[in-house]
Amino acid sequence: MSTRIVGCGNPHRMDDAAGVLVAERLRKLGVSAEIQSGGAFELVGSWHEDDDMILIDAVVTGSPVGKVHVWDGNPPQVPSKAQLSSHGFGVAEAVNLGRILRLLPRTLRVYGIEGKNFGIGETVSPEVLHAVEEVAQRVAHLPREASAHSLQISSSRS
Amino acid sequence: MTRSVGRTIRVDTLARVEGEGAMLIKMSGTRVSDVKLRIYEPPRFFEAFLRGRHFSEVADITARICGICPIAYQMSAVHAIERALGIQISPEVRMLRRLFYCGEWIESHSLHVYMLHAPDFLGYQDAIAMAKDHPEIAKRALRLKKIGNRIVSLLGGREIHPISAAVGGFHKVPDKNRLRELEEDLKWALDASIETVRFTAGLEFPDFEQDYEFVALRHPGEYPFNEGRLVSNRGLDIDAAEYEDHFIEQHVKHSNALHSVLRGRGAYLVGPMARFNLNFDTLSEVARQAASDAGLKPPVKNPFRSIIVRAVEIAFACAEALRIVREYEPPSLPRVEAPNRPGVGYAITEAPRGILYHRYAVDEAGLIVTAKIVPPTSQNQKQIEDDLRQFAPRVANRSLEDATWQCEQAIRNYDPCISCATHFLKLTVEQEIGQEVGQ
Repeated sequence: MSTRIVGCGNPHRMDDAAGVLVAERLRKLGVSAEIQSGGAFELVGSWHEDDDMILIDAVVTGSPVGKVHVWDGNPPQVPSKAQLSSHGFGVAEAVNLGRILRLLPRTLRVYGIEGKNFGIGETVSPEVLHAVEEVAQRVAHLPREASAHSLQISSSRS
Repeated sequence: MTRSVGRTIRVDTLARVEGEGAMLIKMSGTRVSDVKLRIYEPPRFFEAFLRGRHFSEVADITARICGICPIAYQMSAVHAIERALGIQISPEVRMLRRLFYCGEWIESHSLHVYMLHAPDFLGYQDAIAMAKDHPEIAKRALRLKKIGNRIVSLLGGREIHPISAAVGGFHKVPDKNRLRELEEDLKWALDASIETVRFTAGLEFPDFEQDYEFVALRHPGEYPFNEGRLVSNRGLDIDAAEYEDHFIEQHVKHSNALHSVLRGRGAYLVGPMARFNLNFDTLSEVARQAASDAGLKPPVKNPFRSIIVRAVEIAFACAEALRIVREYEPPSLPRVEAPNRPGVGYAITEAPRGILYHRYAVDEAGLIVTAKIVPPTSQNQKQIEDDLRQFAPRVANRSLEDATWQCEQAIRNYDPCISCATHFLKLTVEQEIGQEVGQ
C-alpha cells in the first residue's frame, strides 16, 4: 500500500496554512496528497489501520519560526498546538484518541512546521514558506516502503 | 482554567466551544448581580472585505467565516444574491442544496452531540477521556461525522472550504451514480442517528425551563433549510426582507460580538429547539417517531434537552439525505446565468446553530455595495446570558467547581460558534475589562 500524505490546516489563518501549502506543493511535484482541516475527529475518522501515513501541520512549541519538527514513534508524541484547531483538538489529540480507540494508522510520521502568526488572513511568514518547500522536498523524496517499515506502530499498544 | 473570587463563577477560556470566549457570573447568595458571556476572539472584517467584490466571489469568501458551518454561509449568500438579481434556481438544484445542508447538519450536530456536549452529561472532562470508557460512542460519532463530511466534500468540490456553490446553482453537480454511492452509508447513519436519539434521551437533565421566544424559519411543506418565512411562538411572521425592521443588534462592551434582540421584546432563541418546536409537523416521519419514542414533544423548554433535539435533527438530516440521493435527477444545467444587475437581496437559512441572515446590495456592475451578516451565535448570545442569570441561582449551593461546570454546560447547550459571532465588528474592548478576566 502506498503512503497517504495529509496536509492539515486552515489556509485563511496565516501560518496555519503550512500543512495545506505542503500538500499543494507536493501535488505540483506529482505526489498525491490530501488536505484536511487538522481537526482531531476528522483525522481519526479518516484513518485506517493498514495506512502508512504522513501528516504535515503547523505547530507552536516555542522553537524558532520555520523550524521543521519530525515526530515518529509508537505512537508519535506530538505536542498540542494550543487552540489552533477547531475546539482545540488537533493532531496531538487525534493521535491520543486514535490510540484509545485503536484506530491509529499502521505507521505515522508527523512533520510540524513552527509558526508564529495565526490571525485571520492569507499572509504566511517567510520562514514558514521556506520550511514548506523544505518539507515538500523531503516528503517527495522519501523512500516510501523503507520509511513505512521503519516507523511501524504496534497496533496492540494502548 | 477556572478561578474563584468569592462567589464569582468564572471561566477564562471556555472549553468545547468553537472559538475563544469567557464567562463571568457574580452572585451574592442566590442573587445574580452580573452575567457576562465574553467573546474575545479577534473581530473579523468580512462585511467590509466584501464591498467592491463581484457577487460571484461572495459564496467563497463568506464560507471562510467558519470552518464548522461553511455551507450555511454559502447558502445564505447565494440565496440573498439570487434574490437581488431576480433569478430562480431549478428544482434539482434546490434539492442538491438541501442535501448539502443535510451533510453540514450531520457533521456539525454529530460533533457537538457526542464530542462536545455528551462528556458534560457523562461526567468527563472531554471527548478523549470519554472515549476511554465509551469507545463505541466515540466510534459511532466519528463515523456519523465522516458521512456528513463525505456529502459536503462531494457537493462542495474539495476537502475543506467548499467552492462549488455558486449564484444560480453549482459550478459542478454530481451524476446520479455518485450520489447513489452514498446510500449504504446513509442507511447506516439513519440507524445510528436513531440510536443517538435513544442515547441522548437516556441522559440526566437538570430541571430547568425557560419561557423562550423561539425564532426559526417555517416552510409549509418541509423542515426548513433554505426557504420559508421567519416565525416565532409569539406571533412573528415575516419575510427575510423585513428582518431588520424587527431585529436590532446592540453593542455591549464586554463582548466582541453584537447582541441581537427582537425590537421591543429582547432576547430570543434560535437553533435546533426553535426549529423543532415550530416545525415538528414537518419533520420526516422517522425523525418524528424517534422523538416520540424518546418522550420528546414540542414545546421543549429545557435547554439542556437540546442535545436530544440535535439528535432528532441528525435523524431528520439522514432520512432527508437518503430520500434525496434516491430521487435525484441531475439538473439540465448546473446553474442558471446570473447577470450583472443592481438590486438588494435578503436571505435567511438554517445553519446548524440557527438562523443566519445575509443582506447584499449589488450595483449595475455586479459589485457588492453593502453587506450585512448576522450569525446565529450573535442572536443567541443575549439568551445565553439570560439562561445563566436564571440557572446560576439553582447551583449556588453547590461547590464552585460543580457550579462552574454546570454553567459552562448551560453555555454549551447552544453549541456557540464564537468564530462566527466575531466575523464583523469593529470595536475596542476596554482594557479594564480585559484585565478583569485575566487576559
